[in-house]
Amino acid sequence: MNRLMRILGVLVVIFIAAPLVIVVPMSFSDARSLQFPPPGYWLGYYYAFFNDWGWLRPTWNSIIIAAATMVLTMILVVPATFALVRYRFYGKSVADLMMMMPLAVPHIVMAVGYYSFLGDLRLVHTHFGVILAHTCLAVPIAFLVLSANLKGFDRTLERAAQSLGASPVRTFMHVTLPILRPGIMISALFAFIQSFDETVVAIFISGRNAETLPRKMFDSIRQEADPVIAVISTLLFAVVILALVAPAGWKSIRKRLRSKTPPAAILGSQ
Amino acid sequence: MGATISRLADKPNLWPWLLLTPLALYLAVFFAVPLFDVAVMSFTEPSLSFANYERVLTGKLYQQVFMNTFMTAGLVTLSCLLVGYPLAYLMNHVTRRTAMLILLLVTMSFWTSFLVRTYAWMVLLGNNGPVVAFLAAIGVDPAPQLLFTRFSSTLAMVHILAPYMIMNIYTVMQKIDPVLIRSAESLGARGWSLFRHVYLPLTAPGIANGCVLVFVICIGFYVTPVLLGSPREQMVAGLIGTQIEEFLAFGMGSAMAIILLVITLAILAVYHRRFGLDKLWG
Repeated sequence: MNRLMRILGVLVVIFIAAPLVIVVPMSFSDARSLQFPPPGYWLGYYYAFFNDWGWLRPTWNSIIIAAATMVLTMILVVPATFALVRYRFYGKSVADLMMMMPLAVPHIVMAVGYYSFLGDLRLVHTHFGVILAHTCLAVPIAFLVLSANLKGFDRTLERAAQSLGASPVRTFMHVTLPILRPGIMISALFAFIQSFDETVVAIFISGRNAETLPRKMFDSIRQEADPVIAVISTLLFAVVILALVAPAGWKSIRKRLRSKTPPAAILGSQ
Repeated sequence: MGATISRLADKPNLWPWLLLTPLALYLAVFFAVPLFDVAVMSFTEPSLSFANYERVLTGKLYQQVFMNTFMTAGLVTLSCLLVGYPLAYLMNHVTRRTAMLILLLVTMSFWTSFLVRTYAWMVLLGNNGPVVAFLAAIGVDPAPQLLFTRFSSTLAMVHILAPYMIMNIYTVMQKIDPVLIRSAESLGARGWSLFRHVYLPLTAPGIANGCVLVFVICIGFYVTPVLLGSPREQMVAGLIGTQIEEFLAFGMGSAMAIILLVITLAILAVYHRRFGLDKLWG
């Protein structure tokens, strides 16, 4: 049993890694269509991406929309999370459930709804319309991350501050907020990514004006499979690796810096 | 501590309502109203009747698409389980360092946009790709058409959804007390019987979580089946898209969307009653 599981496990590792690995060489390929292994290598498609407004504009749109979605989501979610985690009130379990609903409804259903709803408001094919829709979809994820952080918050710290004479506002600004800052930042990052990656709703409502990067990629893959997609995939992939590895790398650098201090300290004490 | 809680519970407090109102209003207007719009359209487009539902529920094409969706979602869920279980097992039986590396790989896959992963499968399975080259090398020539078939879209969906399964099973496996396994072994459980009577029941909650999550996401999946699948074997989400984009048949699209929504919520409701919905994503 054990050996069989191990062999299967290794095969699965290959299955998961292969598609992630293959995009990188493809982005340097000089083939006009999908071909692997590539016949030759060049940077032509990187050049093409950074010089084509057909690709840069959707990239910029996505960044703007994701940033605005992040801000709006946090403005709404931070107070609501305090209400739901710190207070008990009538109807709280229903409110908890309602917060999760945008995650439960398939995006294609919301896409149909937004197409008609934003159409009535004349907001379809606008940045603002996409931001309004994406904020709904980002709420549950931001809430999940932040509420997990807030639940683990040690409230004796706040009580200590207040017993030392700090007003509630001062306590919040100088104790609660600084401690929660990492949680709020991660929650905001999740909201940003949720919007930046969201494809289905954007396909239906972003149109030509507010076209997002996923929508442009979807159209391109559907029509001609432009090799520039491999470039974008590699760039997105690089961002993910950077985001995942950077904290670990930073930690090890700090550890190394710190590990240099103790010997010196010991020498000094002698 | 106890005093604080009882005080908060007894005294009617306006604070939570004040804090919750902006979000509640926002979701009511920009989430509930659009959803309600879909429900309304399913009855009123093009005229007030049940005609759309009648057509969806009795039409042969629509029945086939729904059947196809469930079969595919079932197959994807089962495959994710077969892929995810051994990997989670492996992660719990290698050194910490290796386990962390595998976890990093799975997280990386999870965070990579599914458009990117769909595109990667197009490269892998394309006519000039490595899989076809490999098949030709071992003598399968001409290779069967891999891309734009049910096979390619199912495979890509398994790859995209497997991280959900792996994470769920891995977390449950990690919490298994090794003492339980050792005592089972000392009582004579070996190989299959150890797995069947000890390991499997202990990991069942993770399996249930993973399966529900993968199945529910899969029945609403739009992008991958549309890009990689066969146009003749659509899934529900793809057909809804076609109705809206190509035929401007909002009534039909909405009716199918509502049916998809009801099925999704029914599955989640059953799950919620047994385990609690907050555990599914958390």
